[in-house]
Amino acid sequence: MSGNLVNALTLQVLTGMQLGAVYALIALGLTLIFGTLGVVNFAHGALYLIAAYLAVFISTELGFFAAVFIVPALLFMVGWGLERGLIKSFYSRPHTDQILVTFGLALVTEEGLKWAFGSNNIPFPLPQWGTGIVKLQEYLPFLDGFVAFPKWRLVMILVALTVISLLFVLLKFTRFGLVIRAGMRDSGMLRFLGVNISQRFAVVFGMGALIAGVAGVFGGPITQVSPDVGMHLLVPSFLVVVIGGMGSLGGALLSSLILGMALSFTAEYSAVQQIIVYLVAVIVLLVRPRGLFGKQGVFE
Amino acid sequence: MNTAHAIKESKASAQAFFSMRDVHAYYGESYIVQGVSFEVQESEIVALLGRNGAGKTSTLRAIARAPQPRVTQGEIRLDNTALHTLAPHLAARAGVQLVPEDRRVIPGISVEENLIVAQVAKPLGWNLERIYEHFPRLAERRKQDAATLSGGEQQMLAVARAMARDIKLLLLDEPYEGLAPKIVQEIESIVAQIKTLGITTIIVEQNAIAALKLADKAVILDMGQIVFTGNAQDVLDDRKLRDRYLAI
Ligand SMILES: Nc1ncnc2c1ncn2[C@@H]1O[C@H](COP(=O)(O)OP(=O)(O)OP(=O)(O)O)[C@@H](O)[C@H]1O
Ligand SMILES: [Mg+2]
Repeated sequence: MSGNLVNALTLQVLTGMQLGAVYALIALGLTLIFGTLGVVNFAHGALYLIAAYLAVFISTELGFFAAVFIVPALLFMVGWGLERGLIKSFYSRPHTDQILVTFGLALVTEEGLKWAFGSNNIPFPLPQWGTGIVKLQEYLPFLDGFVAFPKWRLVMILVALTVISLLFVLLKFTRFGLVIRAGMRDSGMLRFLGVNISQRFAVVFGMGALIAGVAGVFGGPITQVSPDVGMHLLVPSFLVVVIGGMGSLGGALLSSLILGMALSFTAEYSAVQQIIVYLVAVIVLLVRPRGLFGKQGVFE
Repeated sequence: MNTAHAIKESKASAQAFFSMRDVHAYYGESYIVQGVSFEVQESEIVALLGRNGAGKTSTLRAIARAPQPRVTQGEIRLDNTALHTLAPHLAARAGVQLVPEDRRVIPGISVEENLIVAQVAKPLGWNLERIYEHFPRLAERRKQDAATLSGGEQQMLAVARAMARDIKLLLLDEPYEGLAPKIVQEIESIVAQIKTLGITTIIVEQNAIAALKLADKAVILDMGQIVFTGNAQDVLDDRKLRDRYLAI
């Protein structure tokens, strides 16, 4: 293989991972909320949006690191409060009602932000340490010559990997995680065993919002900060969840990676790139109607 | 109502360890539990009998405070706690343990994890060591996904999971259903042990003879209403009663 091809492939794979990383963080929250509470949260993109706006303001006032800690914590509270205050009343209602109320929330957020800060993109300056490029050839000896990748995009990938690992450890190796996994399979039985599963599911909703918060802080500088970004991200993220299988975390990760790669490798053919997400969705769902890791009986 | 009568009645309800009074419950619009009343004394075993569709499972679910059937009227009390106003997880913490008809072991997690999730909320019953002593088969399979257990093993896990909690009232819904005779024997011996522990139990069983031999009292349901309350032995002796309501 020629050196140039290896270089190009490496860059495209990294770009795919970075695109996938933003979708993955949003899709993880979506699928977690769906898997536990059975609610399709169309307001999830709006949570990202709120986080990105908060991050711009907090990082200008208090610095970027303050935003890294404050925004996800605030988003956790927003998510938790949203579940306890509103979404909770919709569990026994049809999916269409849930979609309407969460979609409504998303529109209200979008219009509210438009009214307060205008429809234009708000600049989100990168922190000093995150600007510039990384010379990949210094780390990857198989690369030939000078190969540069924007530092911040690498940061995005690392942040996503960290969040994914932490979530995995929490769900797989803690008692809280065990209860959540058990609750995803049979919440009614957990109640018969004395577990207040609704309370824990509210925490999960908060965690989904927190992860969207992390995505907003680190993704804001990449995706831009404007009122329509929420919806722009929600649609592919929702497709990621469907392709991965509703409620499946592993599925969401794999399919966000697949979509990221599909977008990255079609970047030179913009007509194809516009439709590639839907094309992948159609192909996967034709072969596996429940998505890659979908379980029988979910959302049917 | 005169005073003497009122006093007598309040005394009676204070005495019964468990009581249901005029309980009505619905699945959506369908009226299923139609004014059920009965009492259980502490450490007693009651066989709750009746034909298919008589409302046995529904009655147990009403006691365990399942969301369906919805209780619209009546009182359920256990050891001076009003159950009928409680959420299911609070009924469980008050000491009610349902071993459901379909077992409902939780798939995707191991046998041991099924026992651990039963011990998240207090009050706790047997610890894992004691459970494994009584259920050696579960000890052998502790790391196995609960969904891969055989039907009999799943039933054992469902009973074991209940024993992991501190039980005041055990509700067993057809513990022998669909099991091979050898497994039935094993579960019967476990239930016999539960009896020696003095755990107050309501057992629903198609095989009424087996349940009646174990039980002190019998309650027979028909079309959502109680048609007989009395000693278990009386049902065993009364052929006509059995022909009429139990088909055995
Ligand atoms: N989820 C439900 N929705 C509507 N009706 C129900 C539901 N579950 C049970 N029923 C009805 O309630 C009635 C009583 O059912 P239940 O399961 O309590 O009977 P059962 O005595 O336990 O019967 P079996 O011996 O077959 O288990 C039946 O007519 C049944 O069709
Ligand atoms: Mg039944």
